[in-house]
Amino acid sequence: MLEIKELRKRFGDKVALDGVSLSAQPGEVVGFVGANGAGKTTTMRIAMGVLASDSGEVLYQGSPLGAAQRNRFGYMPEERGLYPKMKVAEQIAYFGELHGMDRAAAKRATGELLEQLALTDRAGDHVQDLSLGNQQRVQLAVSLVHDPEAMVLDEPFSGLDPIAVDVMGTALKERAARGVPVIFSSHQLDLIERLCDSVVIIAAGTVIAAGGVEELKARETKRLRVRVDAPRDLIADLPGTVTRDGDDYLVEDADDQAVLHVAMSAGRVAHFAYDQPTIAEIFREAVAQ
Amino acid sequence: MSARSPESSRMRGLLLVAGREIRVRGLSKSNLISLAITVVIAGVLAALPTILDGGDSDTEVGLAGAAASTMEGQLEAIGGYEVTVFDSAADAEQAVEDGDVEAAVADGDLYVDGRVGTELQTVLESAWQAAAVHGNLSDAGLSDTEIQQALTTRPLETVNLSDSESDSVIGYFTGLIISILMFMMLMMPVQYIAMGVVEEKSSRIVEILLTSLKPWQLLGGKVVGLGAVALVNLVAIVAVGLGVAAATGLLPDLPEGTTSAALSSIGWWLIAFALFGTLAGGVGSLVSRQEDAGSVLTPLVMSLTLSYVGSIFLLNAPGTTFAQVLSIVPPFSAIAMPTRMAIEPVPFWEIAVAIALLLAAAAGALALGAKLYSRSVLYTGSRLKLTEALRRAA
Ligand SMILES: Nc1ncnc2c1ncn2[C@@H]1O[C@H](COP(=O)(O)OP(=O)(O)OP(=O)(O)O)[C@@H](O)[C@H]1O
Ligand SMILES: [Mg+2]
Repeated sequence: MLEIKELRKRFGDKVALDGVSLSAQPGEVVGFVGANGAGKTTTMRIAMGVLASDSGEVLYQGSPLGAAQRNRFGYMPEERGLYPKMKVAEQIAYFGELHGMDRAAAKRATGELLEQLALTDRAGDHVQDLSLGNQQRVQLAVSLVHDPEAMVLDEPFSGLDPIAVDVMGTALKERAARGVPVIFSSHQLDLIERLCDSVVIIAAGTVIAAGGVEELKARETKRLRVRVDAPRDLIADLPGTVTRDGDDYLVEDADDQAVLHVAMSAGRVAHFAYDQPTIAEIFREAVAQ
Repeated sequence: MSARSPESSRMRGLLLVAGREIRVRGLSKSNLISLAITVVIAGVLAALPTILDGGDSDTEVGLAGAAASTMEGQLEAIGGYEVTVFDSAADAEQAVEDGDVEAAVADGDLYVDGRVGTELQTVLESAWQAAAVHGNLSDAGLSDTEIQQALTTRPLETVNLSDSESDSVIGYFTGLIISILMFMMLMMPVQYIAMGVVEEKSSRIVEILLTSLKPWQLLGGKVVGLGAVALVNLVAIVAVGLGVAAATGLLPDLPEGTTSAALSSIGWWLIAFALFGTLAGGVGSLVSRQEDAGSVLTPLVMSLTLSYVGSIFLLNAPGTTFAQVLSIVPPFSAIAMPTRMAIEPVPFWEIAVAIALLLAAAAGALALGAKLYSRSVLYTGSRLKLTEALRRAA
């Protein structure tokens, strides 16, 4: 399990992180969301040891994360970095070796990854000759080549076409299914909803909401949607704060059994359920507070 | 993951980085081509004295007429001439016209095609005169042996009144070549190191690299790799230069110290490279954009250039205090000392002091360069000031 505990970081007068904590269990995909400048990148860079925190700690399997373990992690920084004048396959294999693989194993893994990422025919090209999205795939390959034990990815989906998004999503899910904890940040909340087991929302350097996707949705659920085949308007009859959404009544701050009672006595109840908010709605809500 | 000892895995990281530099820079087409060209130039330069001397290719001359056989004997005695005796003056004339021989002498006429070298003309002239004297003496009734005795003279013996070696020209050229080589072979990798550091910074790849490597491994690998590339170039050039000089028989003629100056320049280079290489990496890490690399490199480039220019001055002023000081004070000594060693005998203690000072400077540079690098390599944004970088926490 990868745990980030109470990280604090200032840049001059600016407080970038003010006690950020989050964790990823083996096999768990954690989405990290927050507005621009909220502190996602800073958190991930500290976790990967390329930035020093002012205080707080990063634990892996219960003890402070060291260089040797970190070398077995997969990392995709926000600002992508590849040697522009190095060949694709050579570059991926080089990183494999840096991560401790021997040359043959690195080459083998490179071949498999290129296949998986549909880059085999570009293996001999210089990275600078690839399109941005394809460079991004190479970047992913670089973070996957050594079969990482844990993954920290900063906006891995930005700049990808829908097909590449699927390839990337599949690759992440596959690793997670093998027990790898994955943390990634993204501004694409539909993706977070689709791929993640849990979500961490950060605003101005503080975690404002965190938990399992389903759990969060349930927790944030407050709005009852009621549809009744009734000849008259029920706004005045229903308890709580009632608004209309087309033919439906949206009821908040009321006892659901009382609402049901009123509805049933008025006519046939066609729909009676709590609205499930999307992660996007939860995010907006959380940030607005 | 195999259980490696921490030391070996640390060295492994450095060597992987070095290996990449060697593959990317050393085995690049441009480096191989420039190495080939430089090696050829070194070979030609080393062969030049022999070629200019005429070397072992004899001058071809033609002879015809009465005095031909006597002149042939004369020319053979002098040596360095390939003599063809023609049946008639017309044949000899034709041979000159066809370019078969450079000049021909027949019946008191010198046939040349255009100009003829003064040396050749003088030799032919004196051979002709000797043959004429021989003919006159023979006509006067002297026997061949008597003529031989009469004509035998002791050749002039040279008494050199100057202190300096008579062939200081060769020493001068060796010194010149050493200073040029040292300058080039330091300048090239220093630029490459700084460019490489900035490339990794500007492409942000350093952020991934540093999750697997320590800053000193990354910098060290770069310095070792590019150093190896430059060292191979340097050794190849020195080896070809000395090899050609040995093959053309020039080596024994070289003034004392030339060979050792050439060989020791490799040692001087190693120390100087440790000094300039790590500093280049350190200052390179202060900037994030390739365009800014030039400005931070300026002090290094300047001191290399000064060392080089100073060495050229030194070549023209051996034995002066300037030469002595320049060849002892680091970092100038790196180029100046091997240059000076090529033109004049240097007292051992001066060499020892120069080495000690240069080593100390290199050690200081190593520490400073590595510190600068590890403190600023992950810093992005505007250019870091030197003092800021040193103040930053690692
Ligand atoms: N090197 C730095 N120097 C000064 N301030 C910094 C530095 N890096 C980050 N910050 C500040 O820290 C805060 C958090 O930035 P961070 O990059 O972590 O945000 P983010 O959540 O990743 O944003 P985005 O979604 O735009 O990528 C910002 O206010 C940023 O200006
Ligand atoms: Mg960011």
